[in-house]
Amino acid sequence: MSALLVQDLHKSYGGIVALDGAQFAIEGPGIYGLIGPNGAGKTTLFDAIAGTVVPDSGRVVLGGRDVTGWSSHRMAAAGISRTFQECRVLLEETCLDNVLFAAQPKTLGASLAQVLTRASGHRRRCHDEAMRLLSLVRLQDYAHSPAAQLSFGQRRLLEIVSTFISSPQVFLLDEPASGVNPSLLEVLADFIRIMYAERPRVFLLVEHNMEFVMSLAQDIIVMHQGRVLERGSPAQVQASDKVVEAYLG
Amino acid sequence: MARLLLWLLGISGLALLVTAPQWTAGHPYVLHMLVLMCIYAIPAVGLNLMLGYSGLVSLGHMGFAGLGAYTAAVLMVDARWSFWSALGAATLAGALAGVLIGLICFRFRGHFFMIVTLAFGLLLHAVMNNWDEVTRGAAGFAGIPRPRPIAWGEGMISFGQLPNFYYLALALALLVFAVQYLVVRSNLGRILAAIRQDERLARSRGVNVLMYKTVVFALGTAMAGVGGVLQVSFLRVAAPASFNMLESINTVLIVIIGGAGSLLGPALGALLFVGLPEWLRLANEWRLVIFGGLLVLITLFAPTGLAGLLSRAWQRLARREGQP
Repeated sequence: MSALLVQDLHKSYGGIVALDGAQFAIEGPGIYGLIGPNGAGKTTLFDAIAGTVVPDSGRVVLGGRDVTGWSSHRMAAAGISRTFQECRVLLEETCLDNVLFAAQPKTLGASLAQVLTRASGHRRRCHDEAMRLLSLVRLQDYAHSPAAQLSFGQRRLLEIVSTFISSPQVFLLDEPASGVNPSLLEVLADFIRIMYAERPRVFLLVEHNMEFVMSLAQDIIVMHQGRVLERGSPAQVQASDKVVEAYLG
Repeated sequence: MARLLLWLLGISGLALLVTAPQWTAGHPYVLHMLVLMCIYAIPAVGLNLMLGYSGLVSLGHMGFAGLGAYTAAVLMVDARWSFWSALGAATLAGALAGVLIGLICFRFRGHFFMIVTLAFGLLLHAVMNNWDEVTRGAAGFAGIPRPRPIAWGEGMISFGQLPNFYYLALALALLVFAVQYLVVRSNLGRILAAIRQDERLARSRGVNVLMYKTVVFALGTAMAGVGGVLQVSFLRVAAPASFNMLESINTVLIVIIGGAGSLLGPALGALLFVGLPEWLRLANEWRLVIFGGLLVLITLFAPTGLAGLLSRAWQRLARREGQP
């Protein structure tokens, strides 16, 4: 049983075909890279897995369960955690609260019960882990500052850290390196390696920064014109004529 | 130290409210104003949860207050229900209407959401104004009773007396503020704040945004219903004009001027809204002019409202105190 299976996905917007039979299977834990030239359909594919786009046809199967067309909050509950290309954090909340918010239960029953019982045990238990994650990306000094005070690169790190605390099965990181300066990029790469080493799960990175993704991922999926063009180790992919041709057009 | 002072301030404020019938003795007019303040503050708390904390700007809020008021009026006058059961039914009616209308309104976002809530407010008002057989139409629904006297030890508490009705109004207002406090300072409040700040992010974190919006909308409209019942029981008449678009806009003004998204905002807004024109001895028709002007000043210079101004002044004070 695959951890994540994408089968024959099709999606068009009017006359524009974004996904044209994209499919791949991710068998088990690992750091996977999803690359491709602009317009290859990476983001649409990502959105289909995360539940923000409903594919016209095809299937998304998560751990044996068909989750095609599920809304994103159900996807999140099923164990998919994502970041956004444009980077989204709660600007008014502190960094710590951003991480703790990701950790808190989201079902209505749990929320209403917490209103009445005011139980804070779960929050306290998550506190240390949240601080540890924040310090791994050197945000510990900003734990009690609103996220709005962070630079874009720091917000990116905060967003990524937040996705890791809810211990999902599949992480979708949408261009994690974009807008992050080179020194923070090192921090980010180390963070992802540490997270993977602690608990190997499926990490899927859409990335334009080739150096970054090739150094992290052991398995690269190349998309072109809405389908998977090539798949293999970084060395194999870099040597592939098809890939070179797709990029150079 | 600052925390202790804050507690003391809160307790003395509460004591001031509880002893109001004593220190206003001989000036029933002041107590009357305080009752009106509670009547305005209760729906405003509901709107604060929606507008201030969850980012849902409803322009038809008082329509739901009217729905609650007329539900209670019909039940008390035509069906001879007691005030308390009618209050419960009106609260439920407000919540139910909030769920049904909310689910329609949430198909729209931002400005479109506001317009649709405005339309539903107008619709509810039109029903109150025109359904003569049930609501008695534009002439108003007269003869709404105060709650029946309740036995208290040897004697009876009659709500015909202003101080006793004031305690009823104060108790309901405190209850609503307590609910607001519990909701805001909880995981539910954090989810609502996240929806206000970034709906897509909240969704990707597993929040069923539509469900939570519906819940807070229903909570807000239930509170509006409570306010409506209190109002018509106090005035002993339900008039459609008390629940028209202008009143809905007034409630928005109360929340924004008082401080949207702050616990005390609705109380401060209601205090100003009821008190200021009286204090200035201005006729009612100047009220909107003053508040329009205030709104402009507040949005320009104090976007967090009176509560924001107060808390900033407080912080400055606390900081000065902290310095050697």
